[in-house]
Amino acid sequence: MASVKLTDVKKVYDNKVTAVHDFNLEIKDKEFVVFVGPSGCGKSTTLRMIAGLEDISGGTVEIDGVVVNDLQPKDRDIAMVFQNYALYPHMTVYDNIAFSLRLKKMPEDEVYEKVTNAAEILGITEYLTRKPRALSGGQRQRVAIGRAMVRNAKVFLMDEPLSNLDAKLRNQMRAEIILLRQKLDTTFIYVTHDQTEAMTLGDRIVIMRDGIIEQVGTPTEVFEKPRNIFVAEFIGAPKMNMIDTGLVNEGGRWFVTPFGAKIEVTGEKKEELARKNVQPGDIRLGVRPEHMVLTANGGEGSIPCKLEVNEMMGSELHLHVYTEDGTRLIVRVPTINLTMEQREQLVYGAQLYITFEGKVMHFFNKESELNLIYG
Amino acid sequence: MSNMQNTSAPVRRHMGLRASRALGNTAIYALLIAISIIWLVPFVCIVLQSFRVESTWQVGYVVPQQWGLDNYINLFQTDFPRWYLNTFISALVTAVLQTVIVLCMSYTLSRFRFKLRKPLMRFMLILGMFPGMLTMIILYRVLKDLGMTQENSVPGLILVYIASSGMGYYVSKGFFDTIPKSLDEAARVDGATRFQVLKKIILPLSKPIVIYTILTAFMGPWGDFVFARYIAFGTSKGMNVAVGLYNWLNKDQISKFYTMFCAGGVLVAVPVTILFMCLQKYYVEGVTGGAVKG
Repeated sequence: MASVKLTDVKKVYDNKVTAVHDFNLEIKDKEFVVFVGPSGCGKSTTLRMIAGLEDISGGTVEIDGVVVNDLQPKDRDIAMVFQNYALYPHMTVYDNIAFSLRLKKMPEDEVYEKVTNAAEILGITEYLTRKPRALSGGQRQRVAIGRAMVRNAKVFLMDEPLSNLDAKLRNQMRAEIILLRQKLDTTFIYVTHDQTEAMTLGDRIVIMRDGIIEQVGTPTEVFEKPRNIFVAEFIGAPKMNMIDTGLVNEGGRWFVTPFGAKIEVTGEKKEELARKNVQPGDIRLGVRPEHMVLTANGGEGSIPCKLEVNEMMGSELHLHVYTEDGTRLIVRVPTINLTMEQREQLVYGAQLYITFEGKVMHFFNKESELNLIYG
Repeated sequence: MSNMQNTSAPVRRHMGLRASRALGNTAIYALLIAISIIWLVPFVCIVLQSFRVESTWQVGYVVPQQWGLDNYINLFQTDFPRWYLNTFISALVTAVLQTVIVLCMSYTLSRFRFKLRKPLMRFMLILGMFPGMLTMIILYRVLKDLGMTQENSVPGLILVYIASSGMGYYVSKGFFDTIPKSLDEAARVDGATRFQVLKKIILPLSKPIVIYTILTAFMGPWGDFVFARYIAFGTSKGMNVAVGLYNWLNKDQISKFYTMFCAGGVLVAVPVTILFMCLQKYYVEGVTGGAVKG
């Protein structure tokens, strides 16, 4: 259990490629922080620098107030779970989990107690005598977690631990990690490229791109108040619709004018626009697919469009539509809101009208891509 | 009628396939057996000669008329035990030291990233292209100054054998490269030092290559002739078996020592044969394992 503090941490490879730029972050004791971003964004590199598996090119990493830049991984008191499990193939599950304890020269009866205890929590007791190759992916990942668990380390690092599992198992293990976290009650740093994992697991999410932190915040914050277009599009699936449009002010009332329609900005967003002294003009408007709704023909706020693809997801439909000027949008419609007859009409080329409410809009600067309100 | 044809046709084709495969196998086995016989003839001859008692000179037949262990017993009246010991000690010490050096070198080149890594590997590759014989004269001078020639040839030979052993890293480095790096990292996070990673993770996973390294390291000195002859420089006590036995083939010695030469040859082959029989499984794995990703 410990806090982790990264100050101006930098990673520059020998070929002068900078993988991480001036990374600043303070992770509180017992916090669960998720680094998320597309591949190559530097999230794993940052984690590996905390672990001591990569040299730190600049800045400092502190664990529990101690600068660990020059410490070997073994002296940093961290535990780590790898994407490909990294189980020792020549050892049994028991020996795998006991490895770190034996290196510490712990008495064998204590080792036994710890290993069996961890195995029980993870439900792998019956596999203790097996070799890793005789285990399934999910079981292997459990062993890897068990190996990290027994160390009672200050910080628990996880590098895409669920990426190698199939979708169903991933959901199950995700829930188990949440439970595990409650049992272990220690500091977690978790790396993933999957925004669902980030949203469900993290107390705070660190969204990275090209070695730069784009936003740090709670799941609710990054979802509702994305700092820029990148974050807005990265968090949430399917990704947020982006529409180039105008923002106009008519006597204190704000309107957006997408594709000739006219929709008033309402609620909190309206107040924020006034408070932040936002100027009318051309903006990029963001609306999440689940906030778009099908509407009847005509009306001031309706946007005409044609259906291109209809993805049936079970409880909802993902409608890929394109407007008259060719902009592609995605609309999420709960299946339950539609009659069978309506659903049958949703075929390629069907004429649809969509709209959205004023309180769900996100406003971005077209050039800087920053959120006009929260950026 | 038509029905019968329909069912029998595929069966016949199937039989044909099996028969042709059997024929092919028979041909291949016949060829392999013939080659093995040709290959084994000299060995069988030497073994048979070594048990011949009636004459120490070359005779016109292979199977001895009188069998006995005289040749083996007589070997121990000569310097042969000393040669054997010289060879054995130098081979054993070389095997141990060279294995340690080669494995450490391979691990370093496989796992560490340092500035001169690539140039060093290229340098060793080029250096390895020069025949070792080129260094013979200067090596002799140096060893003579150190007092490691003639009677004291064993430490000198060991020095020569292990001196450049780091350059034989190719096969084992290729093998180490196939072991995922994340195993090292997991072990290091688990609290292992670099040396513990090598000892507890890499080596147990590389058994075939370790055994291959030991075998090749042992075989080099065991069968060496040129350096051993040069460094012993005619002093019988400093010779190894290859050099000592070869001297018996002199024109004036051969009539007296030919069958003993054969007996010596058999004794030289014994430890190597045992080693290979025990370890051949690993040896093949080692050679091919390195070859795939050398």
